[in-house]
Amino acid sequence: MVAPLYTTDSGLLFHAGKILVVTIGLPARGKTHISRSLERYLRWMGVKTQVVSLGDYRRKTLGGAQKLPADYFHLGEKSPETIALRKKVSDGCEQQIWDFFKTGQVVIYDANNGTREARQKLAERFHKKGIHVIMLESVCDNKEIIEANIRSVKISSPDYRGWDSDKAVQDYYTRIRDHEEYYDPVEEKDWPYIRIFNVGERIMVNNIKGYLQSRIVFFLMNIHNTPRTIYFARSGQSLIEHSYKADSDLSPPGWEYAERLKDFVLERRAKNLAGRGVEMGGKGDSGLMIWTSTRRRAHHTAWPFLQAAAASTSSMVTPAGSHLPTPGNATPINLNPSSIPTLTSLTINTSIPPLTEAPMLYSKPRIKVIEKPQMSEINPGIWDGLTPDQARKYYPQDWERFVRDPYAFRAPRAESYHDLSVRLEPTLIELEREKQDLLIIGHASVIRCLLAYLIGLPASEIPAIEVARGDLLEVTPASYGVHCRAYHFWDGPGRVRDEGDFGEQKDANNFYENYAEDTKGKRKVDSFFVGNNLGRMEVPGSGVMRTREPEAGLSELLS
Amino acid sequence: MADSGTLHSDSNSRGIAADLARAADALETMQASGELAPVVTVAPASPNVPPALFGAGGPMLKRFDESTVASRKGSTAPSPPPSVKGIGKKVAKPDYSEQKIVVAMVGLPARGKSYLSNKLMIYLRWLEYDVKVFNVGQLRRTKARQKAQKLGVKENHNAEFFSHSNAQATQSRDSLAEESLEMLIKWLKEGGNVGIHDATNSTKSRRAKIEARLAKEKGMILIFLESLCDDPAVIAANVELKVSQGDPDYKDMSPDEARKDFLRRISEYEKVYETITEPHLSYLRIKNVGEEVTMSRINGYLSSRIAFYLMNLHIRPRNIFFSRHGESQYNVEGKIGGDSLLSPRGMQYAKALPALITDNIGEKPLTVWTSTLKRTIQTAQYLPYTKLTWKSLDELDAGVCDGMTYEEIEQAYPDDYANRDEDKFNYRYRGGESYRDVVVRLEPVIMELERQENILIIGHQAILRCLYAYFHHLPQADLPYIKIPLHTVIKLTPKAYGCDEERYTLPINAVDTHRPKPKAAKQPNVHPTTQRIYYVEEEVKTSA
Repeated sequence: MVAPLYTTDSGLLFHAGKILVVTIGLPARGKTHISRSLERYLRWMGVKTQVVSLGDYRRKTLGGAQKLPADYFHLGEKSPETIALRKKVSDGCEQQIWDFFKTGQVVIYDANNGTREARQKLAERFHKKGIHVIMLESVCDNKEIIEANIRSVKISSPDYRGWDSDKAVQDYYTRIRDHEEYYDPVEEKDWPYIRIFNVGERIMVNNIKGYLQSRIVFFLMNIHNTPRTIYFARSGQSLIEHSYKADSDLSPPGWEYAERLKDFVLERRAKNLAGRGVEMGGKGDSGLMIWTSTRRRAHHTAWPFLQAAAASTSSMVTPAGSHLPTPGNATPINLNPSSIPTLTSLTINTSIPPLTEAPMLYSKPRIKVIEKPQMSEINPGIWDGLTPDQARKYYPQDWERFVRDPYAFRAPRAESYHDLSVRLEPTLIELEREKQDLLIIGHASVIRCLLAYLIGLPASEIPAIEVARGDLLEVTPASYGVHCRAYHFWDGPGRVRDEGDFGEQKDANNFYENYAEDTKGKRKVDSFFVGNNLGRMEVPGSGVMRTREPEAGLSELLS
Repeated sequence: MADSGTLHSDSNSRGIAADLARAADALETMQASGELAPVVTVAPASPNVPPALFGAGGPMLKRFDESTVASRKGSTAPSPPPSVKGIGKKVAKPDYSEQKIVVAMVGLPARGKSYLSNKLMIYLRWLEYDVKVFNVGQLRRTKARQKAQKLGVKENHNAEFFSHSNAQATQSRDSLAEESLEMLIKWLKEGGNVGIHDATNSTKSRRAKIEARLAKEKGMILIFLESLCDDPAVIAANVELKVSQGDPDYKDMSPDEARKDFLRRISEYEKVYETITEPHLSYLRIKNVGEEVTMSRINGYLSSRIAFYLMNLHIRPRNIFFSRHGESQYNVEGKIGGDSLLSPRGMQYAKALPALITDNIGEKPLTVWTSTLKRTIQTAQYLPYTKLTWKSLDELDAGVCDGMTYEEIEQAYPDDYANRDEDKFNYRYRGGESYRDVVVRLEPVIMELERQENILIIGHQAILRCLYAYFHHLPQADLPYIKIPLHTVIKLTPKAYGCDEERYTLPINAVDTHRPKPKAAKQPNVHPTTQRIYYVEEEVKTSA
């Protein structure tokens, strides 16, 4: 979806032709993780991409491991029936690949492809038809990664349904051992290859040519599987919500929101770290990275974090379940305003002096804030500051086209969501790269695009993803997808509501940025888990907490 | 999770809400009563276009800033509310102080090592990393020159000097390489980000020495960048360049002698050359510039960017043309920004442009890139080539000042205006962009330009300044003062050490939109060079 800066007549992008990526690696080496990540990235760029998984295909056509002959996974002598069965599966997969190439551009063939002879033959067949073949080997010699992979993913696969977990692990190790005997690492130089060690720890590339290919390498160089959480929150309410240009500061409730956000994130983070067996601020905590845009309302929302980081001690975590900080129980910090440096630097190192004494709850959180100019909200162009009614009145034709296709339409001098996605692409690589926990304090439009990437939503749905102010979204990359949870932590002014005390505060003028909220969000990102090794699946609420009550959006302005 | 409620019944919070409501009301009334007109309006796209509400030219912005000072006082949050006013601010450079990378070149002479180090330096400097090339050849020449001047001793650096059987010279060259590396490390410690060690580093033992030396430094990443070339034509061209470009090593020789000597020098290196096979090293190997890339153990974001950049380079001959759009109505009125149409003279330019370009490029393929603004699309309309529209090529967003003249800005916001003049590169318009923001936004465009062949960009003043500064490697502070006049086509031909440039000015008058740097005794020097540098810029202390 993103960045086809342009398309060619054939519908293929970047003049790159068709590409077959052949994955190679022993079982439980993270091939599927890498394949799915790559698929998600390429799709986001607008490249028609498909993972064809041999394992999935085998399970779909033959059923789980129990139904297979005993020698199916043994690479030694096999009975003729097993050989025929295996051939049937690989032929079927190959047919799927050919089918996809009729219209698609990139296929990632997710299978072991462990023997040199077999993959050579495969590559030649596709090469003859003008398809560029790339070998993508995932090498993993870190036992912990392998074991974790087996425990978290493999034994939950349908192959082991109903098995005792230790027994399943043992069985899986046997399967790997048999493969190991016949495994040839990619050393042949006759095909372009990419070898990834320990999921991104290092990478080796041979003879990779072409732009799309170099993008693939660039992407793969930046992925990793270090456990981390990505948090998303919107900035606080600003004084002039409906003007892009005014770049106004936070309103008083906006500042309170910022405080509350800080408390809530630190609290959630402490819990999440505890879940990983790490104490916040202790050993193993690599700190929290915060990205904001360069808009005042966004980076000012990060201010309380900087103060928390600067304070040598902290009492800022309000106990779980408490109410919003009121003047009475707000954090006892009194800063002399003159001692605060003006926010002019892009990177803010915490240079604020220590503050008042307070009881120690946890040691100093390491926090760094970076302002990124690419992360400003979508530019409304000439519609800046207009209400939907005004926009409809003054620009009737543009309005109609906008409503028809809010993703692709660009109002005069504005950005479309497509433009925004293109702008955000470099940020995305940095997002993949980041190993620390990351909090993105952003604008609804920006969060929408990034979420759509992480979750793998189609482009057309981006403008309709609801991102309410007062929700903290937690995205945790998992083996074959991401876990996404939403927590509701603020209900004050600035949160879009259509009833209650603050009904008069709803900001109809900011419709371009708040399109989804204004149209009763067609899609809510509640708790769900996306993607698994059986193909692309969305499992609403599966096994994860649902923490947020559905809520009515703003009135239907665009009906 | 936390619930809503308690705070909102709080009277203080009600007071704030009321404040805000009042402010909003006041603004609405002003708007309704027509008090806000005449605000600066954007070019009418359809009738009855509403005023730009928060333009700096209208009364809204100032009044709102004043009114918010009061409403901000109600905040119970401990964070201090900084005041918002004016039309922009200066923004400091991002902090890259944690990045410390040593890029050590590997390769035979005439394999384009200096070309690659130079390109890499320009790219990373343009992205605001602090980059410096430490060229051992430059150091050697500088020292020899100093020695010659001081002691009257003239060293002979012919091929004999580069022979590995010449023990004394080998030692002397080794110590030069080491000294150069020490200078590099010192410079990194003093705050540099990427130091490029431009030497042949052609043997395993030499590379092992570098590795051992850097292992003693904390936090420095070492990457080898090997440039291989087996295309005889490229090597011959490189040799020719070396011989003809006035290399001081050859200044007393005839071109023929020089060529012979240089080829002998290469063969001396070839005798001992070992390509990188050490499996534990981080390296990038580039064959025939961009034809083939091998990467090993490349980690880190900046390293991966370097790799991506180098993968996209090529050295096929090509031209890059820059032209601003034809004169626009806003140009005539002296206004900045906007999305106005071309003036009659601008239309003349649009009509004259195709002949100029086709005369120049002939039958060769060309692609035209424009921004999404009407004036560039209009300018490109008669060009018989494929056209692509880039949002990233849109003009620098002047935010609240969009649509105003410089005089109006100066009148309404004298302090801000002076501020911008003081440091134009770093000044970000409120609700808009700084030149730095534009550079960040243009990075993907640069990457694409490096990959492409003949390109014509119909762009805008600030955008073309940034792109031009990249190709000519001009310093940031001078960038906003580069002269890119209207109705002029600039043709760049990338060469090994810079770009050749030709300018074609069409005889169609246009207003001059260039604002020289005010109150500066000396205007910034923005003249590019394609000369290779043969001596170290600063003086080197002469050691034996």
